[in-house]
Amino acid sequence: MRRAILILWPSFVVGGAGEILFFTVFDPQELYLFGEPTDLPRIAVYTIGFFLCWAFAAASSAFTCFLARSAAEVNR
Amino acid sequence: MKADVQPRPQATAARELEVALYEVKRKIYPRAVSGWFAGWRWALVWATQLVFYGGPWLTWNGRQAVLFDIAERKFYLFGLVFWPQDIVYLTLLLIVSALSLFLFTAVAGRLWCGYACPQTVYTEIFLWIERTIEGDRNARMRLDREPWTARKVRLKAAKHGAWIAVALWTGFTFVGYFSPIRELGQAVLALSTGPWETFWILFYAFATYGNAGFMREQVCIYMCPYARFQSAMFDRDTLIITYDRARGEPRGPRSRHTDRKAAGLGDCVDCGVCVQVCPTGIDIRDGLQYQCIGCAACVDGCNQVMDRMGYPRGLIRYSTQNAMDLGLTRAQMLARVLRPRVLVYTALLAAIVVAAALGIALRVPLKVDVIRDRAALARETEDGRIENVYRLQIMNTAERPRTFEIAVAGQPTLELASPARVALGPTEVRAVAVRVRADGGLLGAGTHRIEFHVRATDDASVAVLEKSVFLVR
Repeated sequence: MRRAILILWPSFVVGGAGEILFFTVFDPQELYLFGEPTDLPRIAVYTIGFFLCWAFAAASSAFTCFLARSAAEVNR
Repeated sequence: MKADVQPRPQATAARELEVALYEVKRKIYPRAVSGWFAGWRWALVWATQLVFYGGPWLTWNGRQAVLFDIAERKFYLFGLVFWPQDIVYLTLLLIVSALSLFLFTAVAGRLWCGYACPQTVYTEIFLWIERTIEGDRNARMRLDREPWTARKVRLKAAKHGAWIAVALWTGFTFVGYFSPIRELGQAVLALSTGPWETFWILFYAFATYGNAGFMREQVCIYMCPYARFQSAMFDRDTLIITYDRARGEPRGPRSRHTDRKAAGLGDCVDCGVCVQVCPTGIDIRDGLQYQCIGCAACVDGCNQVMDRMGYPRGLIRYSTQNAMDLGLTRAQMLARVLRPRVLVYTALLAAIVVAAALGIALRVPLKVDVIRDRAALARETEDGRIENVYRLQIMNTAERPRTFEIAVAGQPTLELASPARVALGPTEVRAVAVRVRADGGLLGAGTHRIEFHVRATDDASVAVLEKSVFLVR
């Protein structure tokens, strides 16, 4: 539980910051999805973008946690 | 964890890991407290929440006064409209927020945490609901120990019902900052909100319910980064909540009539009120700890006990390390507030606020981006001239309709071959195709610098110059 929070919470903060920065610079309606213009409403793109940012940051946090295990924990 | 014998460091580390991983967190039942600082905390709860819950209902210029219209990529703030191009002001806002935090922290510790942080404010509101329905600390502890009777089910259902209602209203208000709240309200009443809005209302409501109802002090202790680096902003002259050890120790219970001097006791009666009222469950008498959010509940609690005992107030009070160690008077302590660190923070803050205000006041309410048409670089017209096509993205950032005049300059024989005037509605963005012609023979092959001048017909100061190039093959 504590480890889950350790992974999900900082990535939430970083993901949120990344989302704000990214979409301040890029307009979702000017992005292309697999070569096609996105026809989703902006709010939808923001939402999906936020969860993508969060997921990527969480993956990084999880990887860090995974590598931060001590030798004793790995050998166990 | 208080140990009388000093365990070996390795054993301690192992146990700490175990505690961190497996210990089921002991639930904290903060006791209600009243007093000067509790009054301030409630005043701040009202002030911040009136702004938060009331903000989206205000109207300005016939539209929502505060609306972060992310769907249209425009932020409205009373008379101001911010566009993605205005990101510099967001950066300045963040710098101002950070500097204010440094300043307040250097002067008086975690004022933000204790009085204004949403985590504190919503916990305060949720605790008030809990106390109103379930009773104060002892009644709540008893209720939680009781088996599930009809009364307990009723009380718990009422509490969670009220919590969820506040949380949903909070989620609705939050989304109302991004999507016009009056229309959103009608959509909610008709149960016809869009999927994304519904999701965000529920998401924010869930976060509020979880953070203020259950996580509470754990957010401050385990999740908040500020709690971890606040000590970097503290110095020995920072006002912090301090227990006057010299006056309080040796602590011990006694009756009101005991002569404490004769009994060899300090002023602390060891009643434990400071611990019971603490929202993070620490004992301030152990000294400054990073868990202390500076809410001053223990100051109020202790002062009440001191009054009852007939002792002077302030056994726990706002004080500084230097005041404690050097025995400074209150006036000497407060004089040290104006130290270089504080003055530098204040000067920086003032300079940035003034610069940002000037920048906003002097903004030209017009933005133009010139994009060359990449498909057709340059073509020859029937009369032998060269034509280049550009796309001018014209943004009328003012909240009234305006007509703009487009002119081109920078090279001889340049002329517009498309309408020179364009009328835009309030805050309208329009991409205008502009055809420019010139005598190719006179200019010669290659690229030539040109300028587009866009100017409002009603106000000559509303003008923008954008550079581009004219291509002759």
